Amino acid sequence: MSQPVQSQAVPMTPDANATTADSSAAMPPLSPWPVKVRWFEFKHPVSALSKVWLGVAAWLVFLLGWHYAATSGDANPLFPSPLAVLDALWTLFAERGFASDVLASLKRILISFFLACSIAIPLGILMGAFPRVESAFGPLVSAFRYLPAPAFIPLLLMWLGTGDTQKIALLMLGVIWFLITLVCDNVKQTPVDFIETAKTLGGSRRKILWTVVVPASLPNIVITCRQMLAVSWTYLVIAEIVAATDGIGAMIMRARRFVNVDDIMAGILVIGILGLVCDLLFRGLYWLMFPYLRRR
Amino acid sequence: MSVAEQLDMSSLLVDRVGKTFSARRSSVVAVESVSFTVPPREVCILLGPSGCGKSTVLRMIAGLEIPTSGRITLSGRPVLGPARERGMVFQGYTSFPWLTVRQNVAYGLKLNGDFGALREGTVDHFLESVGLTRFANAWPHELSGGMRQRVALARALAATPELLLMDEPFGALDAETRWQMQELLLKVIRKERMTVVMVTHDVEEALLLGDQIVFLSSHPGRVRTIINPPFKTDSAIRTREDLRAHPRYAEMERDILQMMREEGKH
Repeated sequence: MSQPVQSQAVPMTPDANATTADSSAAMPPLSPWPVKVRWFEFKHPVSALSKVWLGVAAWLVFLLGWHYAATSGDANPLFPSPLAVLDALWTLFAERGFASDVLASLKRILISFFLACSIAIPLGILMGAFPRVESAFGPLVSAFRYLPAPAFIPLLLMWLGTGDTQKIALLMLGVIWFLITLVCDNVKQTPVDFIETAKTLGGSRRKILWTVVVPASLPNIVITCRQMLAVSWTYLVIAEIVAATDGIGAMIMRARRFVNVDDIMAGILVIGILGLVCDLLFRGLYWLMFPYLRRR
Repeated sequence: MSVAEQLDMSSLLVDRVGKTFSARRSSVVAVESVSFTVPPREVCILLGPSGCGKSTVLRMIAGLEIPTSGRITLSGRPVLGPARERGMVFQGYTSFPWLTVRQNVAYGLKLNGDFGALREGTVDHFLESVGLTRFANAWPHELSGGMRQRVALARALAATPELLLMDEPFGALDAETRWQMQELLLKVIRKERMTVVMVTHDVEEALLLGDQIVFLSSHPGRVRTIINPPFKTDSAIRTREDLRAHPRYAEMERDILQMMREEGKH
């Protein structure tokens, strides 16, 4: 390793100094020192191919491990293999009309999330933009954020009955308080220089709100929505446990009564896949809406 | 000369303006009884050591801070808050990332519904004067720091303010870009015949661009002296080299640096 570096160096006479560039160009190429690149390296860039490869590898390890654990030893009905779950999923869709359950759940998620957003985004923007609005609503929203949404199930049942309205209301309660707080924080991050620039260009408060505050915080609001939609999916089973006849959660609870573990796992799998699809759709929306944020 | 007489002939009148920032227990006098006038088409430089309140004075002229004493008047109209007639360029990068360069420059006109100016090619004119025509459709994040400040300058100018305010607009730029921008600004100011108030702590910048340098002392900010450098109106001076070669430059620079040093000792 300790090659004498001097042997490569150009002698530093004034004459050679002036022609350094020429003389090194004439010399043969020099291989660099062998620097080792570690596999675990902070902030190391990952190529698109290895990203896919590493992601698939982790899934394979998980599925193979599951398969091995489920099929070695005696067959245990409480712990089916991934293939049994896939088989159950097929049966559910083909023979037991699971598609209508999935649609019912999807409808509840989308309606509740749309309603939550249509209240939380305007309120969050107003709170983030105007400190007085935040002072008024902040303490109220913070208090509600700490209340567990499932605790409201008995109340909602009494107030709204056992239909879709009750489930949609529960899903809304699960996300709306966080949504308001996060949107408010997103909006507060608008640089004050942007707002002051618009003021010195003659913008009214209403115009500054629409042409500076909203576009400056919109990318982060979309990210907030993406993350809170994921939380919404996690509330789905809770919403469909009580007094539900259809929906993925209801199917899972029925399956539990008959100890059909493969059906339960198939239901969980479907929720996971739908959640993933929602996430991808939001990423696509973000890409379409904010061309100036692409590949930065 | 009475205040009324000054008011008639001057574009901007800053009259015994003071600003005290008060926290819960203590209060800090940032600026105390600052007075100066800026005639139309002149460039006024607010110069002084850090902490002399020069940015506070500028922000009060912009209407972004409310003075605790004194009054500011532009062409006889009181300054009550920010308005289109007093455009501002900030030190930080303020081009809106969601708008292209052209949309950024057009922003002020659209905001005011000034579609006449938009049709007449005001935007193209100012893109041209700051040398950004080729980058009209670029996103701000694709530009260098100097180019982003040119966007901010063009955007402020396109809204056709009566008074242009600049708060250390080149403070975040590297040395080479900074003097390129100073020369560009000199060219634009001469061509557009703008009235400007600019904050800086760069003595060379102050001498190159200013008709009038208001030198503020620190803690609290007061007007220590007003200097009238001859260089901006000297059409023979176009570049930094021209400025430094001028016989009076070295002496004026030395005097100002001497004052800076004295203020720094307090």
